Amino acid sequence: MAELGSFTLLLALALSVYSFLAGLIALSFQKQKLATQPTSSKAPNLVPQSSGFGSLLRQSSERLSETARRAGIASFGAVLLASIILVVCAFQDNFSIAYIFHHSNRDLPGPYKFAVLWSGQEGSLLFWSLLLTGYAFVLRLRYKTDPRLFAYASVALAGVQIFFLSLLNFAAHPFAIMQGNLPADGSGLNPLLQYPEMVIHPPMLYLGYVGFTVPFAFALGALITKYPGEKWIHITRRWTMVTWGFLTCGIFLGAHWAYSVLGWGGYWGWDPVENASLMPWLTGTAFLHSVMMQEKRGMLKVWNMWLVFATFWLAILGTFLTRSGIISSVHAFAQSSIGDWFAWFLVLTLVVFLFFFVKNRKHLVSEHKLESLASRESSFLFNNLLFVLLCFTVLWGTWFPKISELVQGNKVTVGAPFYNRVAIPVALLLLILTAVGPLLAWRKTSLESLKRNFLWPTIGAVIVAIFLMITPESWGSVFGLKPWHDISYFYSLMAISLSVLVILTVASEFYRGGKVISKHTGQGTFASMVQLTHRNTRRYGGYIVHFGVVVVIIGLAGAAFNQDQEKEMGYGDRMSIGPYTLLCRSYTEDESPNYFSQWAMIDVFKNGKAIGSMTPVRRFYKASQQTSTIPDIRSTLNEDLYLVFEGVNQDNGHPIIKAHLNALVMWIWMGVWIMLIGTGLALVPNAQAPARAPVTARLERAQPAPVVTGD
Amino acid sequence: MTWLFVAVLFTVATLFYVFYIPGRLFLGPEKTRAGYLRERKDAVYENLRDLNFEYQAGKVPEVDYQQMKSSLQDEAAAILAEIARLENNPSSQKGFRS
Amino acid sequence: MLILCAVIFLIAGASDPASRFSDIGHHMMCICGCNQILLECNHVGCPASDGMRGELMAAVNRGDSDSLVEQAFVQKYGPTVLAAPTGKGFDRVAYIIPVIALILGFGLIVMVVRAWRNRPAPAIAGGLPPIRASELDQFREQARRETEL
Repeated sequence: MAELGSFTLLLALALSVYSFLAGLIALSFQKQKLATQPTSSKAPNLVPQSSGFGSLLRQSSERLSETARRAGIASFGAVLLASIILVVCAFQDNFSIAYIFHHSNRDLPGPYKFAVLWSGQEGSLLFWSLLLTGYAFVLRLRYKTDPRLFAYASVALAGVQIFFLSLLNFAAHPFAIMQGNLPADGSGLNPLLQYPEMVIHPPMLYLGYVGFTVPFAFALGALITKYPGEKWIHITRRWTMVTWGFLTCGIFLGAHWAYSVLGWGGYWGWDPVENASLMPWLTGTAFLHSVMMQEKRGMLKVWNMWLVFATFWLAILGTFLTRSGIISSVHAFAQSSIGDWFAWFLVLTLVVFLFFFVKNRKHLVSEHKLESLASRESSFLFNNLLFVLLCFTVLWGTWFPKISELVQGNKVTVGAPFYNRVAIPVALLLLILTAVGPLLAWRKTSLESLKRNFLWPTIGAVIVAIFLMITPESWGSVFGLKPWHDISYFYSLMAISLSVLVILTVASEFYRGGKVISKHTGQGTFASMVQLTHRNTRRYGGYIVHFGVVVVIIGLAGAAFNQDQEKEMGYGDRMSIGPYTLLCRSYTEDESPNYFSQWAMIDVFKNGKAIGSMTPVRRFYKASQQTSTIPDIRSTLNEDLYLVFEGVNQDNGHPIIKAHLNALVMWIWMGVWIMLIGTGLALVPNAQAPARAPVTARLERAQPAPVVTGD
Repeated sequence: MTWLFVAVLFTVATLFYVFYIPGRLFLGPEKTRAGYLRERKDAVYENLRDLNFEYQAGKVPEVDYQQMKSSLQDEAAAILAEIARLENNPSSQKGFRS
Repeated sequence: MLILCAVIFLIAGASDPASRFSDIGHHMMCICGCNQILLECNHVGCPASDGMRGELMAAVNRGDSDSLVEQAFVQKYGPTVLAAPTGKGFDRVAYIIPVIALILGFGLIVMVVRAWRNRPAPAIAGGLPPIRASELDQFREQARRETEL
């Protein structure tokens, strides 16, 4: 099995190299040919069957290009086979393969054996290659949308494939064989990873990371071919949205995993690895906004090019940070030499991109002019500035310890307090833009129009802010908020009231749009709003994403009100936190094939009334000899009661229980669902307005050979 | 030794798929100035429809609306005029990459 | 908003020992290598955090000022014990750079917008005879018709 695995990896590399070289040769031939012959046909042109050397050359270059495309498709098959082999080996407990030995054991439950594919260095690189070739596979299948542009994108992707597959073949081989005696059992999967979400979190995150290679490949293709018009942006749009959705999902699954497994009561620790996933998300989000400028107004061409590149580059940089050990982190992989590979790859991609950018930058000059600073265009500019600034801040904070070491000779820690101080004000500005941007008109917005659109939402937001300040504190978490007591309360109040402003502006967009539709069709308001969304899914799906974002922000704002308590609890001992009283009913120990566990049973009372019992657990995994805690969480809209079994007093055997009261956390998870639903909606093709159908049909007839929009 | 057999079989199948290309290739439409202008026209039309919609939704005041509409219509008209010329006079239509 | 932030920074500030403990404790790291904030370090049998919390509690109860407590910790455990760069010396650069980036970015946008406003109207017909006004009107009408709601 291991031999077959190694062979398929080698084959995949060979196919990628072929796809890259053959594609490159074919494209350079076509470029030369195009430079000498003006083309004029508009209809889909098939290979002409005429004779002559030029035509022969043309035909063979096109055939060569086709073999390159097919080799790329086949490379996916080879990597898929290699991945299947690794998973099968994991299920067969084939500990002769070093990777399986280090990341699995006989008693590991089935789903986690599947997850072995992405739980270590070598396997996750294989998984990364699988996803990369998978994305490239889909792209190569859909080449008919625009064969020439897709051919360039395919070559660019093949280049990236070569890097990852070389890494697998020569630096981090997943099928390496164990030396010496064959061990009886593996050393097991890290217990922190033995949690259902861990089975889906890495794939989601990787789908997000890897997916940004596709927009980058298209951008590079468009740059090299001096692609006329903004169609390539239109083609990449969906790829970017899908990728963004995966990355969002991956990041929040990670946060949720941290919250429910790591047992420190939080969900985001500003760890370098977390930051690494946030950076491409921020630039990717900026890109999703700024593409609209290019699509609608033909502006920001250079900026978008750089944004796509930066997003791709940051995704690779994140991988580099995680795997090189250059920056210390809790969940980094073991230090290894592959860091150097990544560093060189980063340099190489930068050089290639810079070369083509400098060569073809004149092509990216935009033509449109802007009438006013108060316009949708400039709101997008500020939006992009803030996103990129946030990304820069995170990057800066991640690297600052290294910089400090170089300059003043000692490392410093850049943790949560730094980011809270620097990133929160920027995020609040961004929140203001989220509310304001969509209501500004393109080109210019008059004062009259501002007044018309903002008066009511602003009044609503102010009322909510006042309400939060004057309500009694006994209502719980955010009520009775006194912003002058602490800066974090002030931030929370700002975040919540700005979120309300966003919600009200989004609602007014739906309401007003719905009214127009209702006027034309006579449908009810709600049906009209549904129809409105269906007619322009990207815009209204986007609004729903904004809505989800502010729900998340409200959840994050709750962090200012968190409390915690720690106590050793024997039988009948009590602890109180906020409105809750906890009573220790019993504690005991247990054993299963995979682990030992200790747990306590705690009765919970709220305002003196019994509301149930909770059982925080602590496990000791036999194979890996590691412990992990499994907190018990009782979630309500207002707050989460979060109990952790911290340990046992060695003298009397009493459990030590830590209780956290985390305000509004549930809003975060709800918001993420809303964001994902919005993203899904934005991917649905637009429905045509019925009244316009005949006109559109007439136009279609008038245009010969409309380009397939298969994005 | 089964792995060797599977490996050979897989390789042969792959090579066959990659290099055996029967039939004609799909090359798609060539991009022309007129094609590009049509894309531009679609974008400007989209902007005009958006503007009309926002006006009807009461988001844009009358004065702004008229001003922006006329500037967008100018843009659309110029593009339409150029498309019409290119279609009537195909010799002036050159491939983009020439 | 920034001014309001500053004012709140000045007037805010916890005074009772429990909230001071929590405040300072959340600005320090556990030094065992777990990379967690001192008061959030939760792993079982941590060799460092219990002792550190004890020291912090003692210092707060003694009534030491924030900066004194921090200095004592830095001397004992090294500068990485502070969870964020201080506002002194080279550490200040950590905070200054993002602000400079923000200001530069704003300036850049204002410049870009200004440049765009002064841009000449786009040239449309390449190498074709100029389009007559009557013809344009006809196309304007067509555009209007085709984009009606």
